[in-house]
Amino acid sequence: MSADPPEPATGMSKKKVLGLFALAMINVAAVLSIRNFPSMAIYGWSCVGWYVLGAILFLIPISLAGAELATGWPEGGGVYAWVKQAFGEKGGFTALFCEWSNNLVWFPTVLSFIASTLAFALTPGLASNPLYMFSVMMIAFWGTTAIAYFGEETSSKFSNIGVILGSIIPAVLIILLGLWWLGSGQTLVLPPFSLGAMVPTINLSTLPFFATIVLLFAGMEMAGFHALETKDPQKDFPRAMALSALIIVVCTVLATLAIAVVIPADQLNLASGVMQAIQYFFDAAGIAWLVGPMALLITLGGVVNLASWLIGPAKGLGIVAEEGNMPPLFDRTNKYGAPVAVLLIQALIGSAVSLLYVFLPSVNQAYWILSAMTVELLCIVYILVFAALIKLRYSQPETTRPFKIPGGIFGVWVVGGLGLFGTTLAFIVGLMPPSYFSSGITYVLSVLLGTFLLAVPPLIFLKLKHPGWLKKTPGGTNP
Amino acid sequence: MTLSKNGEIGLAVLLVVLFLIPSLMLGLLYGEAPYHVVPGEPVKEAADAAGISVVSVKGTLWNMTGTIGGKTYVLTDPEGDTAIIAAQAFDSADSRDAAVRLYNANAPGKGKQVVSLIVVGQYLIYATPANSPVFAKLAPTLQQAARAQS
Repeated sequence: MSADPPEPATGMSKKKVLGLFALAMINVAAVLSIRNFPSMAIYGWSCVGWYVLGAILFLIPISLAGAELATGWPEGGGVYAWVKQAFGEKGGFTALFCEWSNNLVWFPTVLSFIASTLAFALTPGLASNPLYMFSVMMIAFWGTTAIAYFGEETSSKFSNIGVILGSIIPAVLIILLGLWWLGSGQTLVLPPFSLGAMVPTINLSTLPFFATIVLLFAGMEMAGFHALETKDPQKDFPRAMALSALIIVVCTVLATLAIAVVIPADQLNLASGVMQAIQYFFDAAGIAWLVGPMALLITLGGVVNLASWLIGPAKGLGIVAEEGNMPPLFDRTNKYGAPVAVLLIQALIGSAVSLLYVFLPSVNQAYWILSAMTVELLCIVYILVFAALIKLRYSQPETTRPFKIPGGIFGVWVVGGLGLFGTTLAFIVGLMPPSYFSSGITYVLSVLLGTFLLAVPPLIFLKLKHPGWLKKTPGGTNP
Repeated sequence: MTLSKNGEIGLAVLLVVLFLIPSLMLGLLYGEAPYHVVPGEPVKEAADAAGISVVSVKGTLWNMTGTIGGKTYVLTDPEGDTAIIAAQAFDSADSRDAAVRLYNANAPGKGKQVVSLIVVGQYLIYATPANSPVFAKLAPTLQQAARAQS
């Protein structure tokens, strides 16, 4: 494999529109989500310990790995480009496809979050109406797809504004309210702070939660999909990784603690929706009138979160198609450089899965099993990325990496090893059935079969691969 | 091996179908918990049947459309494990299923939910911690009760 990345044979946009801030906001949009806070606040002070564990075993490793890989191979395609350099086309395609396919399982949940949060701002009863839910979900989904259609510049502007309004401002507002609560001498529902209280309890009951905490920061690699549109990837990627990690950690930890000190844990348990928690919080602070506007902002935050996951991996798959790994049907791009065929197929699949989710109660009630498949597919992606990070230090030591993980080969093994350990353990515990589930074997087989089905298409495409699939250059010949 | 235009379209259709299989498989394997009125206090009855002690009980009403009340139990088993189990009743299948969607939507990040939930008739039974051994002892009785009355 060549040490110098070839110019990709792509018709996709190569207009350099992304700088440091835009790149950082892409990651923040993918990772920072207000809906995480109440669920994590249940753990009280120990949520800090869980976050630290997630940071050590995933956030820090993936940020450092992403920075090194994105600056060493800034050729577009994100995880596809990185893993392909280490393990060839099959590995790269599989990693990218798992990143794309897990979204299609996850989309209905984030879409229903968007629809039910919007209902909270309008008329909460609407959330019980399947027709309302499906309509809003489809408007959000196809609307976001339409934004992606207009290319990187449009989606970047949307992401920049949306993440500030919908994720960062609500998080900062929650933090400020928490500080006001502390300063005004109100009753704190958490026991007094101690270092011991921050240590998470790890036992068989809490072990499955480990997979959740590791993947809480999934999405830090998202900026890598936008390498072709980045003004100065070698300089901007590492700084964007650092900036986004800082914003995500500060907002997540402080906002979770702000909720934990104000709202009793049993209230969080019972009314665990983010808007229910925020209503409790704002009622207590005497600013109930802000609940509606806050719901609108958080709805926007949900759309931006969706957009981030919808656009990045689709761009990667567009590049895979343009490199001749998928039939020409999949490599259509428009004048804005957006992979329209992939976006359209993605929207069709997402709509069909959402339809089943909303209108078939059996699918809705068993959806937590599909969530387990999301975990497994994501773990496959990250296991391949961390393995690629280590392998490339041996197979391509001469490739210039403007950002290198400090500590030489030892440092890479520590970073890659921690990431590999975290994601492999998450994969294993992700297969653990819930304690109340009567048939553990059925659960494990269901999750493994579903994961296999959603990970196997790259092998089918590569088996059928034909030279005629390679995208023709404007001159009419294959590059 | 070459593919005709029809073959390409066939591959795209195969891709769509592959993504629908897991959802359809779940629908067939696990079936729907029908909405019907389960009389009495299913959690307390299941706890009694499983030899689990009720430490405390209090009435609760979740801040969601369609809720008609319920109870929160703190339970402990002979091994000393404790769990908080909440049972909330809903006035219709639609409002109950909306609460299930909310539960699915509240999984942190792209991970799994941090609490357990099962559907028993008009009730959602919600257990913390997620993998509680106490809930594991209750669940078979609860699920059996739901099936027996459906």
